[in-house]
Amino acid sequence: MDFDREIYLDHAAATPLDARVREAMDPFLADQFFNPSSPYAPAWETRHAFEAARADLAHAIGAKPAEVIVTAGATESVNLAFTVVGEKAHVVTTSIEHSAVLACAQAYAHTLVPVNHHGLVDPEAVRAAITPETRLVSIGLANNEIGTVQPLRAISEVVQQLRQQRLMECNTTPLYLHSDASQCAGQLDVNVSTLGVDMLTLNAAKIYGPKQVGLLWVARGVQLQPLVLGGGQERGLRSGTENVAGTIGFAHALQIAVEGRKEEAARLADLRKGLQRQLLAAFPEAVVSGHKKHHLPGLLHISFPGLDAERLVYLLENEGVYVATGAACAANKATRSHVLEAIGLPPEVADGSLRLTLGRLSTEENTARAVEIITRVVRTEYERVGS
Amino acid sequence: MTKVLVGMSGGVDSSVAAALLVEAGHQVTGAYMKNWTFDVPGMQCPWAEDLAYAKRTAVKLGIDLRVYDFQEAYKRDVVDYLVHEYEAGRTPNPDIMCNQDVKFGLFLDTALAEGFDYVATGHYAQVGRVAESHAGWEGASQAEVSAPRRSGLQGAAASPCQLLRATDAHKDQTYFLYRMGQRALQHTLFPLGTYTKTQVREMAEQRGLPAASKPDSQGICFIGEAPIQDFLRMYVAPQPGNIIDAETHEVLGAHDGALFFTLGQRKGLGVGGGQPYYVVGKDMAANEVYVSHNPHAEALQTAELTLENCTWLAGAAPTAGSYLVRTRHTGQLVESAFTPHGEAAATITFRAPQERVAAGQSAVIYDGEVCLGGGIVA
Repeated sequence: MDFDREIYLDHAAATPLDARVREAMDPFLADQFFNPSSPYAPAWETRHAFEAARADLAHAIGAKPAEVIVTAGATESVNLAFTVVGEKAHVVTTSIEHSAVLACAQAYAHTLVPVNHHGLVDPEAVRAAITPETRLVSIGLANNEIGTVQPLRAISEVVQQLRQQRLMECNTTPLYLHSDASQCAGQLDVNVSTLGVDMLTLNAAKIYGPKQVGLLWVARGVQLQPLVLGGGQERGLRSGTENVAGTIGFAHALQIAVEGRKEEAARLADLRKGLQRQLLAAFPEAVVSGHKKHHLPGLLHISFPGLDAERLVYLLENEGVYVATGAACAANKATRSHVLEAIGLPPEVADGSLRLTLGRLSTEENTARAVEIITRVVRTEYERVGS
Repeated sequence: MTKVLVGMSGGVDSSVAAALLVEAGHQVTGAYMKNWTFDVPGMQCPWAEDLAYAKRTAVKLGIDLRVYDFQEAYKRDVVDYLVHEYEAGRTPNPDIMCNQDVKFGLFLDTALAEGFDYVATGHYAQVGRVAESHAGWEGASQAEVSAPRRSGLQGAAASPCQLLRATDAHKDQTYFLYRMGQRALQHTLFPLGTYTKTQVREMAEQRGLPAASKPDSQGICFIGEAPIQDFLRMYVAPQPGNIIDAETHEVLGAHDGALFFTLGQRKGLGVGGGQPYYVVGKDMAANEVYVSHNPHAEALQTAELTLENCTWLAGAAPTAGSYLVRTRHTGQLVESAFTPHGEAAATITFRAPQERVAAGQSAVIYDGEVCLGGGIVA
């Protein structure tokens, strides 16, 4: 990609590897290639570096190293979290979750809590959905498509109250709260005690780290079942030789993201505000989805009623501007997004939806240029369809 | 201006066809036909990607792309037909049925109902239009026929269009189109008929079309590249039976259903190990498959074909006589004696024995370049 000419507005899909992260990873792809389980000294050094990275990951989210399980990406982390459920148990999640969570939930008796038209979950609706058999509540911290940030703290309080109630009722079924915060590190606070969750999923690929690396943070006492059987690595839950370079890269990426969060979040919020203001000024009929206040600072979901978003993506691609239509998975299936359906966006509006996600590649200059190009392309398309 | 609805699959052929129509100055709209698909585990039908290619191409050409959901008709007319035919022990050709019922049936009807003058596809074939009847057409790539070609074409006066073989003999797709019918011919454009595949790829590249480097699709359209047997096995309950040596009558092994096997088949028998066996016959009632080491076994040869369920592009069967006959796509055109028995049945007599064709396959009759129609091998 030619970073000077092309404009990347899809940071929620993938992020470029940070140069510092790459530098930290390099030795472990070359000289320090050892298997961390090997007995000789150089391998021990590799093992120490890997465990130090785990500790860094833990500290970055206010957790203890032993509570962090490194996985091959966020989807695997979510799958591992769902191993607490067991047979005959019930799961509560929302109608706007990422397909990783929805697909896992579908393997069990489950209830999908609806959201309001801003994509917000009502903690009381979560309370109502929890049955005596519910073992797991899984709610994403921020929605990957429309960016709405959920009141996780309030949901956590509901879960804690219901746990107390179960104690009184001698119901020994545990109840856990899991959250997929893949989209959030670097933009929102992902400290596990602040969030009040029992399990948290994070993803290196969304925060300028390597792909196929993620983690599941698990509070002490939560009983998971092995997901990948083998040599017993990662407490036997996820066997396979450790991804040393990837984990070290992830640790650096997370530290950078957490340290620079406040500044970067404010910068992205500013850019997003300008983007939204100018696009709405050019197209008053356009619809912005997501919660006005509780949203990811770098995500703008905007719909141009009557247009076909896929066409816009291809037209913008010709101009070197890369954007998403809703979520990448939903677009590939050529089906309407379940998130937009859940917030009640009419089909003719939903079909013209673009997800613009800003990030470290975004500048004032290229965002202004993007506004100009998007405006031109959308206007041409409106003229073509004759409205 | 002529209004054309062009079927766009996302592949290079239909992309170039659409581009040529736009360049010819027609009012062109693209159409993606969403057909019924079945995901065989481990293999995915690539239709979502195909749709993305089609849409990308439409954007490039500045035309609209409409998506038509033909799943129901496709399932009924192509998939169910296919399964039914296999269950009856025959080897059907789904592409021929798809052309007859979906592309030049439902799709054509939809286009005409929506006010289009023509449908177009990226097939390699040509429509010959009798001069006086083509007033509405200003295209360049259609062959012009000034008069019906020969006496064999009964009713040609009332049937102004002929289906002609493509210029590129290696790509000619008239075998798949013989059942499209006269009415469809009159409302169809095949912009690629006079080009070779190489030229089409070059044209795609020159125009920067997204499909320029996309490989040609392989396999059966609704299950992608999965073998048909894998599909059938998910649809039809297995029924164990014997594989029997046709010469010695010795039982060589077992199979899971005679319907999964086709005449001449060599692979997937699971018997022998040394010299290969060929399927030379099967008994559906007894669920037995007969095999032989001899690829030239008598059972695999025939001097005569009985056709049923014939359709004729001129609307009536050709008169008896000598014609060219082809029994598979781009197969050799063999000069043979043709005898019609009414409109729907016929006999073909070869001068020398030919490789036998499995029941359910099609035999297509040509008069020189003109595809006259054909029928299903009984």
